[in-house]
Amino acid sequence: MVLGRQFARLADRRILLAYWPWLLVLIGLVLVRVSKGAPIVDLYALLSRPFWPGTAQSEWVRQAQRVEDQQRIAQLELQLEQLHQGAARPAEGAVGRAAGIRAAVISRRSEGWWQQLELGAGSLQGLRPGAAVTGPGPAALVGRVVSVTPTTARVALLTDPASRVGVELRGNGSQGLLRGMGTSRPQLQFLDKDVEVQPGDVVVTSSASSLFPPGLIVGVIQSVDQQAVPAPQALVQLVAPVQALDWVQVR
Amino acid sequence: MVDLPLGRPAMVLVSGSLALLLSLACPWWLQLDGLPPNWLVLWLLPWAVVEGSLAGALAGLVLGSLHDSLQTSGLTAVPALVLLGLWWGRFDSARRPLERSTTLGLLAILGSLGVNLGYALQLQGGGPLPVLHITLAQSLLTGLLAPPVCSLFVLIWRRRSTRHAR
Repeated sequence: MVLGRQFARLADRRILLAYWPWLLVLIGLVLVRVSKGAPIVDLYALLSRPFWPGTAQSEWVRQAQRVEDQQRIAQLELQLEQLHQGAARPAEGAVGRAAGIRAAVISRRSEGWWQQLELGAGSLQGLRPGAAVTGPGPAALVGRVVSVTPTTARVALLTDPASRVGVELRGNGSQGLLRGMGTSRPQLQFLDKDVEVQPGDVVVTSSASSLFPPGLIVGVIQSVDQQAVPAPQALVQLVAPVQALDWVQVR
Repeated sequence: MVDLPLGRPAMVLVSGSLALLLSLACPWWLQLDGLPPNWLVLWLLPWAVVEGSLAGALAGLVLGSLHDSLQTSGLTAVPALVLLGLWWGRFDSARRPLERSTTLGLLAILGSLGVNLGYALQLQGGGPLPVLHITLAQSLLTGLLAPPVCSLFVLIWRRRSTRHAR
């Protein structure tokens, strides 16, 4: 009864009229929080547009896309020819992946407490959460899109302490889990105890990974701790230099 | 310079947004070893000093919440900023001495240390992160920028304050 009276007093029109600006502020704050800062990041993208990175790296990305597209067309033509000749149906996925969407890096926080990028392309350009982000040129994995706004996308880098990626060694296929450490070199924890690994081995995304396309280059083994328990561990030098990235490709 | 053609609410909105946007991307010449100053501390300090504890704590809550929404990790700056707002708000009765550069700089360094300590506690010591390096670099830079930035904003907020109307 007392609670009901208090609620009725709160809902009093006079009080609502007196405090409506604060109510609007509160609603706005909740909306910004729920949308993961979408209005702020979109505003930032709009204001910073004249200062976005130049076109040099963008041209590299475009050339890489062109090469990938040509390879894909050649593969498709070959498979079409095989089909015409009555050959066996090509395996699914053999066509390769479509080239990604180019996006400028408009905010880079890879020092300190956060390991993330903001990209100048969002849902309007077709970006979706969960997409893999690679550097220009050869497909070197940088991170993963975690959220998008209409004009921007937020990327969690491989170095983020929350990042976990299934990877394997190119060549012998030893499987492992790449863990971000908050530093520039993530740690690779192998799943098997007996692993043949040495500095210089190339690490790629695992064919068993459900998060990333298989075979994307991640980095190179820098040092190995064979004595680690329960399985060997290694530090990985990433191929894509986050500090120098101005443009990326989202797949 | 202090008489900007903006009202108090507009000035709060513009300067607060600027602090958040600078947190997203800071010019390289305002960074120390890749780390930017703590813009939230630089905004909150003059506001709390002029407006008092309650306004300081509320501003800390709002600014911290908005800043948290821009991060991928679950780290929050809200508790540290609310406590700093409450603490700095208690200096509103001793306004004159706070205009001295050393006082503002020292308060900003302590504020930045507090925010970074809050992050480190949430990560239970920081794990493999170079916590000491991050904390010292950011606090030093924040302390160096505080005298010019905070002095200016103390004057701006006082001109526009309802509590210290001339």
